[in-house]
Amino acid sequence: MSVTEHELTLPLSQEAAQKLNLGDFVYLTGEIFATAGLPTHDRLLKCLEGAEPLPFDMSGSALFHLGSLNEEAEDGTLSIVYMNPTTSTRFNGHMPRLIPGLGLRATGGKGGLDAACARAMAENGCVYLSFLGGGAPIITAGIRKVTGIGWPEMISHYRIVRIEVERLGPLTVGIDARGNSIYDRTSQASLGKRASILDEMRAERDSFEG
Amino acid sequence: MPITDDMIIEATGELYSRSLRKVPEDAKAALAAAMETETNETARQTLKLQLKSAEMAENKDTFVCSDSGVPVYFVKVGSKAELACDFKASIRKGYETLVETIEPPLLKHVTNPITLERGYHGKDMPIVSYDFESGADYVEMVCSPKALGSGRWAALELFTFPTLEQIETYILDVAIKAGAQHCPPVLMGVGIGGTFDHCAGLAKKQTLRPIGEKNPDPVLAAMEARLTKAINGLGFGPMGTGGDTTVLGVHVDFSSGHGFTPVAVCFNCWINRRARVRIWGDGRMEWSE
Repeated sequence: MSVTEHELTLPLSQEAAQKLNLGDFVYLTGEIFATAGLPTHDRLLKCLEGAEPLPFDMSGSALFHLGSLNEEAEDGTLSIVYMNPTTSTRFNGHMPRLIPGLGLRATGGKGGLDAACARAMAENGCVYLSFLGGGAPIITAGIRKVTGIGWPEMISHYRIVRIEVERLGPLTVGIDARGNSIYDRTSQASLGKRASILDEMRAERDSFEG
Repeated sequence: MPITDDMIIEATGELYSRSLRKVPEDAKAALAAAMETETNETARQTLKLQLKSAEMAENKDTFVCSDSGVPVYFVKVGSKAELACDFKASIRKGYETLVETIEPPLLKHVTNPITLERGYHGKDMPIVSYDFESGADYVEMVCSPKALGSGRWAALELFTFPTLEQIETYILDVAIKAGAQHCPPVLMGVGIGGTFDHCAGLAKKQTLRPIGEKNPDPVLAAMEARLTKAINGLGFGPMGTGGDTTVLGVHVDFSSGHGFTPVAVCFNCWINRRARVRIWGDGRMEWSE
């Protein structure tokens, strides 16, 4: 038994996104956007309401919940020292509007997104990719070049960073472009098993002779 | 010879730095053991990736995770240790020095909860608990930094004369609520009894116990085994993408109390950030984890 692996080029096509199944591994090559900021997500929503222009054209792109230590050298060279995912469910309230509003084809981070987000993903053909939490050395190794730092006045991990990546991964398909979600399934399954697990624990307690 | 300010300053910085770069050996052994029993292939590959990340961080001398959390220390002063230092001031100084000099630099995670402003410093940083150790001629310091990823799922409930069943059901429900969120497989620390404040401390201290070490109390050992099996049966798996390995262990301790019984539950992500040192008056520093 092995995990199905996909080598994908960004921007992700509608067709390529539809071919991904839950639990598959993917490696990404191309351009991504990364931010870990809650204020950043608030600000992105305000951009969609016309408060200010977006820092980048993000239509059809991949926006991931990744925090990074990014730097601009005196000669203007941009770099990232390390990068790693943050908890995506913090943005459950933002993503149902950001996915269609920005036209995202892929999003991700760690821990998944809720059912309302999964519906928005199904409606817009967007996938959720799970990064390894505590995977900074592996994830950082996938960075080829930093091509832009949006909103540099914010603290490092709140900025929106545009990055060229090469074989970034492996990332796990957590929610597919049809709205099927590993997180929803495991969560429902755990609630379904709760009663029988409690019965087993009771039986084990009753038979304990320590 | 007495233990000096310089020794405490050095230990404070070095402990934090080590905890960010090195996954403790017992945690790595537990991840490797889980790979042997895990039946979900995506989950097995994720465990393998976690071990690879740990190895790469060590080889490249960099951080396993970008979120360095907030600094949390536990100090035990031996009753025979001779101190010639301002302990609290030296820990603060050690942390301040670390923040200015560490490579690679830390991100700004220390948060003022009133203004949400973030930086390296703030009220009560670093967070330090002090205790004594009878008969010891050393000072022991443990650093276990904490971040939102696993920190936000900790919970505490107050019961009155609860049955073991009520307590274990609560612990299972806290694990269900945390679900896929805390970078599993996690280590769960559980405190039962005492008072509100003491119970939370009991739970946290259980996350500092070596993983795989059997609880000497047979009732607690059975409870730990029962809860580990039960929570792994929930199916969340490594990084919450499904599998048999959601916890590496459940560590339980209790304290006498009144009829009101707090039950506290907290989590360490798979990295189990923890670094420990013993400091003797002759300048020796014995590092472990």
